[in-house]
Amino acid sequence: MSLLLRKRAAPYVFVLPFFVVFAAFGAYPLAYALRLSFTKWTGAGEARWIGLDNYTYLLTSPEFWASLGNSSIMWLLVVPIQLVAGLGAAVLLSNAKLRLRGLFRVAFIAPFVTPLVAMAQVWIVVFDRDYGLVNHALNLIGLPDVGWLTSTAWSKPTLALLFLWKTTGFAIIILLAGLQAVPSHVYEAADLDGASRARQFWSMTVPLMRRSLSFLLVIQTLAVFQMFAEPFVVTQGGPYGSTTTAGLYLYDHITASDLGTGAANSFLLVILVFALSLLSVRLLRARDE
Amino acid sequence: MNDKRPSLPTYALLGVLALLFLYPIWWAISSSLKPAAEIISDPLGFSLADVTLDGYRAMFADVPIGTGFANTALVLVIKGGMTLFFCPLAGYAFAKYKFPGKDLLFGIVLLTLMLPTLVLIIPLLLEMSALGWVNTYKALILPGSIDAFSIFWMRQVIAAIPDELLDAGRVDGAGEFGVFRRIVVPVIRPGLAGLAVLTMMNVYNDFVWPVVAVNDEKHQTLQVVLSTLAQNISGNRIGADFATVWSELLAASSIAMIPLLVVFVLLQRHFINGILAGSVKG
Repeated sequence: MSLLLRKRAAPYVFVLPFFVVFAAFGAYPLAYALRLSFTKWTGAGEARWIGLDNYTYLLTSPEFWASLGNSSIMWLLVVPIQLVAGLGAAVLLSNAKLRLRGLFRVAFIAPFVTPLVAMAQVWIVVFDRDYGLVNHALNLIGLPDVGWLTSTAWSKPTLALLFLWKTTGFAIIILLAGLQAVPSHVYEAADLDGASRARQFWSMTVPLMRRSLSFLLVIQTLAVFQMFAEPFVVTQGGPYGSTTTAGLYLYDHITASDLGTGAANSFLLVILVFALSLLSVRLLRARDE
Repeated sequence: MNDKRPSLPTYALLGVLALLFLYPIWWAISSSLKPAAEIISDPLGFSLADVTLDGYRAMFADVPIGTGFANTALVLVIKGGMTLFFCPLAGYAFAKYKFPGKDLLFGIVLLTLMLPTLVLIIPLLLEMSALGWVNTYKALILPGSIDAFSIFWMRQVIAAIPDELLDAGRVDGAGEFGVFRRIVVPVIRPGLAGLAVLTMMNVYNDFVWPVVAVNDEKHQTLQVVLSTLAQNISGNRIGADFATVWSELLAASSIAMIPLLVVFVLLQRHFINGILAGSVKG
């Protein structure tokens, strides 16, 4: 082969493996799922074309809306707290005169590195109503047992706590990097103007961190609406469906062999998640401009 | 920033927060080393004198955790190897070559970045069963083995290499792949280390796809093996048996988290680089 030809062909050869894998395990199943979402199919026999029935079924099904409702509540319990607390911790950590910073950083990221399934199991044990660590500690200070995983009131906050515990370190790292990119002369000028630290935080740090904050908002919105392993391992969606998140409800279609509905559910979820991501980024931008 | 010396409350706040983050990990590992009955009777206590490996012995006897580790290791090596080889290669093509169709192809890479894994689970499962790949290593390894995010990241890293360096390599007579192997790879080593560590974490902790794709004991990854322990709990809530189940569960969970925690503490910088690389795509 001539040298020129080789140089021309090289980039195509280099990117080819990705496109082969994507075609086989991305584009093809995606197209297949789209077709599947218009059929009734239980995994065996012929798939029957039923048009938009799966979509109308879901959109009028109380269970579908309940799963979205559960995920929305989870979102409310997780995302605002994580963004505010994460930013607060990142601001404290960004102080150049802080000692032990490396140690704090390790402590905050360690949960992010632990396997979710392992920690989900630890959560079952720690929050057990009868024998768990948390109720044991509550009893010691004279408080009654709480049904952390067995009452509909507490099941969502308990799972949200697992999510927060596991991923807030990630948020802190992203925000810390964002803070370090804020030029220091901005703060020097504000100091000269006599602006208080709290005022600097709200009127300068938050706007300047717009990019990192919107990134986290989108990533965590996606993650919360796809939340699966936490309820799957810890509560199996219970009690009384209170932790059946959008992700777990989708999985239930597989166990029920209702694959057409499952495919339709996937697409509704994707549309929703895209819309939410766009909306949150919009809102965050609009407020500051 | 022109920082003031941090005040005592700052340290107290960060210290309490750090303890809250570390405590569940410490509690799981320390409780896994306690006699089973004490996990329930005295969950807060821990004494070195009582340390026992009974929970681990029982767990190894009951659960195929060794198989789980071996399967995860196999998937990790092959899938990780594919990511580490093919993603920088594709990133190199997108960063340093001009070729017809490049924008379109890179656009597809960017689009797939936004594709939630959840949407693919059902059709992928059907594809696997049509191919007869359910309960095979192929099913665990191939989907997602060359991913858009890693390509995107490596493209950023490689774009920073000066073109003169690559041209110098060509003058020396290296072929197209030779330039990649002999010049690009050595220069981007820190980026590759970050990619390796992040890929390792993702593959090791991956759960949704393995739990769907594999249901026989022989092919279960570590996370899938772990999840079967939780299912044992609900059916077993009486007396000493109950404490033993908990003890096994904590032993399995602890042994599963230790390898990554060790790697994390040793390779902290690469981990953080890996996590941060994620934020550039925002």
